Amino acid sequence: MNEIYFNAYAGYLEGVVRGYRDGLITAPQYLNLTQCETMDDLKLQLATTDYASFLQNEPSPMSTSTLSARCTDALVAEFQYLQQNAAEPISKFLDYITYGYMIDNVILLITGTLHERDTHDLLEKCHPLGFFDTMPALCVATTVQDLYSTVLVDSPLAGYFRECLSAEDLNELNIEIIRNTLHKAYLEDFYAYCQSLGEPTASIMSNILKLEADRRTVNITINSFGTELSKDDRAKLYPRLGNMYPEAQTRLARVDDIDQVKAILEQYSEYKAMLVGVSLGASSGGTGANDVTLEDRFFAREVQFNKDSFEQQFHYGVFYSWLRLKEQEIRNVVWVAECISQQQKDKINNYTSIY
Amino acid sequence: MAAVRDNVFPTRMNLTTTKTRLKGAETGHSLLKRKSEALTTRFRAIVRKIEDAKLKMGKVMQNASFSLAEVAYITGDISYQVRESAKHATFRVSAKQENVSGVLLPAFERDTRMGGGSQFELTGLGRGGQQIQKARAVYMTAVEMLVELASLQTAFVILDEVIKLTNRRVNAIEYVIIPRIENTISYINSELDEQDREEFYRLKKIQGKKKERAAVAQRETDAKATARHEMPVRDILAEQVDEDIIF
Repeated sequence: MNEIYFNAYAGYLEGVVRGYRDGLITAPQYLNLTQCETMDDLKLQLATTDYASFLQNEPSPMSTSTLSARCTDALVAEFQYLQQNAAEPISKFLDYITYGYMIDNVILLITGTLHERDTHDLLEKCHPLGFFDTMPALCVATTVQDLYSTVLVDSPLAGYFRECLSAEDLNELNIEIIRNTLHKAYLEDFYAYCQSLGEPTASIMSNILKLEADRRTVNITINSFGTELSKDDRAKLYPRLGNMYPEAQTRLARVDDIDQVKAILEQYSEYKAMLVGVSLGASSGGTGANDVTLEDRFFAREVQFNKDSFEQQFHYGVFYSWLRLKEQEIRNVVWVAECISQQQKDKINNYTSIY
Repeated sequence: MAAVRDNVFPTRMNLTTTKTRLKGAETGHSLLKRKSEALTTRFRAIVRKIEDAKLKMGKVMQNASFSLAEVAYITGDISYQVRESAKHATFRVSAKQENVSGVLLPAFERDTRMGGGSQFELTGLGRGGQQIQKARAVYMTAVEMLVELASLQTAFVILDEVIKLTNRRVNAIEYVIIPRIENTISYINSELDEQDREEFYRLKKIQGKKKERAAVAQRETDAKATARHEMPVRDILAEQVDEDIIF
């Protein structure tokens, strides 16, 4: 990447995205949000943020699901503005970001097709960021075979499908396995693409994507305990990148319980710190207010990496980072809203603060 | 009230039957009373259990919906995947019947035979699987709770009905049937007494008449006897009254 020309192509968008970043909710604002007693108070507090225009027309008893939907609308509007103003190669980068959502959408539609539901209703449930032109055509296909041969081959995801799945797999494999296989392929592809962009995008994105890959690895390991997923299948779902690839992954593929996972993670200095104070295992009940899960720590770490990417200039990582931060922020806001509406004030501070 | 009685002939046989009926009514009354007491005891226990269960329910449901919020925080919306991957019921309820002093109460129980693994155990494989499993477990307890509450609540309604019915019967026996039978008995008794008295009077009367008649007969014989003893001296002179001779 030639820094000299960066501003000519991407300067405007980088400026916009940095502006967006400044609109993220800050710690004092979070404090204000957590002080709210009712959803109306929360709405009033959110009126000072970027979400104001999306929330102002909502009728007063606002449910958390509408809040979540409106916040997502805000995110989508901002992202689409970026996409509309992007030229090559940023537009390609932005497209890559949306592939992840596309996978989820396609999986949703496949699930619907497999169970012979009317997939038109499902289009509304799809994440707007993962919307692609041929997606409505997916609804036309009534069998999975059709879906694969006529529609998916034309979608941007065709490559991932071709590499890992045959049409028969779509019928036979568990839909979650398909989803994870696709995500794995996507992650690897995205990583390779980022490497091709050259420094500094490559190094920044590699940090973030490696973390993402490690998180997937750990999660898949932990979540596959006690399920029908065999150890070989488990190993196949691990993304072939990340700090734990390949050495720790081969070991993770063979473990049977959470303590062994912990032992493996502790060999990595960056994860060892994360494990302190974490209650591993789903059986812990999670009654304590200060109960921190591994997932929370991963979120925190992801936020940290994404924040760090704003410290450098002349790279595309900011777009990805901003999107991730914004998503985290929406999760936080919805979490706070849930806590308020369900009157579980003691857990209200379990969000992952950004700034 | 006192006038209400069965329309029977006041005979001794009817008195015996009515007395048997009274005995039967009293036995029935005490039996029903005991049944109603047993049911009431049971009812109170159920009411107490319902109260406990309802209080607990609030907490459990709150926990459950909050665990769903946790899932939403980590993974986003999973409802569709979960709905679609559910192929057969993992939680089944079987109804049994329980006999409480002759009342059949339905008791719902979780059918443990099914057990079975969850079908969406792979949901959230990449992210949030633990939270999903946790939410699942919490909701499972919530559903169990609901089932328990449902069987209690049904028992409550049925028992309420039955207790009312039994109490009505007890009261009917106590305040209507038994008094009526008692009235009948006393009526029959009084009629019989009346008949007795009539009979007695008649006997007395007859006796009186007989005595009178006997006395009359006695007097006649007596008179005859005296007449024989003191046969009057025939005064022939007096008997024969000659016509005055006029000269």
